[in-house]
Amino acid sequence: MAATWFSAPAPVSRRVRAFFAPVNRAAQTPVLFDPSEQGWFSLDAPPAPWISLGWVQDFVRKTASKSAALMTGIPAAPLEQVRETLEAQVSLQFLSWTKLTMGLATGSQHMNILAPAIGAAPAADGAQASPAVTPQSGSTSTSILLALTDAAKFTPGAIVAVDADYNGQTGYVGTPVAGAYVRQVLTDVDYVRRVTFNVALVSQVTATGLNLAEPLPGGAPATGAKVQAVTGFVDREGGSFYQEWSGLFVMEGSQGERIFFHYPRLQAMTGAEEAVSPLNQKNQGGHSRVLLKGQFLALPVMDPLDGERVVCYRSFLPAANALV
Amino acid sequence: MQNAKDSFYMALRTRLTEINPQRTILVRGTVRPGILVEEAEAPFSQFPSDVFVLRWLGLAVDMDLASTMTGEQCEIVYQTCGTQSFGGLDRGRALSTMDEELMAMIQPFYTPKLNYAATPPAAMLTQVFWDEPVFSPIVTQRDRLSRSATVLVYSYQEQGE
Repeated sequence: MAATWFSAPAPVSRRVRAFFAPVNRAAQTPVLFDPSEQGWFSLDAPPAPWISLGWVQDFVRKTASKSAALMTGIPAAPLEQVRETLEAQVSLQFLSWTKLTMGLATGSQHMNILAPAIGAAPAADGAQASPAVTPQSGSTSTSILLALTDAAKFTPGAIVAVDADYNGQTGYVGTPVAGAYVRQVLTDVDYVRRVTFNVALVSQVTATGLNLAEPLPGGAPATGAKVQAVTGFVDREGGSFYQEWSGLFVMEGSQGERIFFHYPRLQAMTGAEEAVSPLNQKNQGGHSRVLLKGQFLALPVMDPLDGERVVCYRSFLPAANALV
Repeated sequence: MQNAKDSFYMALRTRLTEINPQRTILVRGTVRPGILVEEAEAPFSQFPSDVFVLRWLGLAVDMDLASTMTGEQCEIVYQTCGTQSFGGLDRGRALSTMDEELMAMIQPFYTPKLNYAATPPAAMLTQVFWDEPVFSPIVTQRDRLSRSATVLVYSYQEQGE
């Protein structure tokens, strides 16, 4: 059997696709991407637990690592180089506003605005919430079974947050993604549902519960989880919590080749910021698209292959039949 | 370059049959999908309505690469008078339908390059790819609405081409 080949020029790519996966903060375990086993995955159906965040624009990655020469002799001449610092940054603009893109693009915790209780006092993060309801056994990631009276509290088109009550614990909270780090005991029983990423849109309300338009990121509601209506999202400039995610960026070339940039640990390094892009470049005063800007600092992991500390892996899967 | 042009046309033609199998044209006694290449048909006195007509225009070449890259400008022209059953009052809707069909045909923005001079067509090594179409304003001529979309189609020259 013989193969023919061609000389492939530099890849030509239209856009960059972004995928993120939650880092297990408590265990300090990032999500790894294996280009040998997962390199040809469908970009519309990434392997779990990677979540597609769609196309991004203005994707820029920048190394800030510094090397220095060890000088010896008279006159001094470089003997060898040493790496003095290891640092890399990634910046991009998300083309959509979702719970996840907003969470990623803000430097601190990203919170759900829970539907307020009647007569609750105003608060900047959202007033005291109306009571949560308990899902019944048999619920799944796309169907939350509720008592008839509980189901009647929701309407199609509502957003729900599904997570446990806050019971005075400290440390990372939120399932399946750590949404915040609690440094001191709080009093809000709904705090975990305020910061959870386990949210979804209700597509249908039935006598037996809620059907969801998209699966809950955390899968079927865990034991002890409760359901609460969400009216929107809020984040703050300030705070001490930093989002941390594993990031995977894919450039698909015109000949089917793929370039992957895998950052096992990315932390948001700036506060919430937007970029405004006019829809019509000839009419700067007209409608403009508001894009979420994300800027991330890459943190190191130890590569078990050889014990080196690294912040990013760049993989290239050549086009079929391309000379290498 | 001809292989790239043929592959682009055949990709759009195949996609059109899935998007709207009812859009057909009778050419030389044969019912075909409603998309033609102008230079491969007898000269038109007037473009046929309700079909897509591909016209190949500009050509650019970059020879400083490992494989020579070509960019060929394709203008896709289409027009409609609407339907008789609505007295042509639906011509705007008919043109919008063709706009949508063209946007659907264009995606994905690549297709394998095949040599259609061979029977059966022979798969080549590279892919043909293109950018988003640039749509022109509608031109109104009496009861006829027409529009064109321009697409830059890129390909790499392979051995033997």
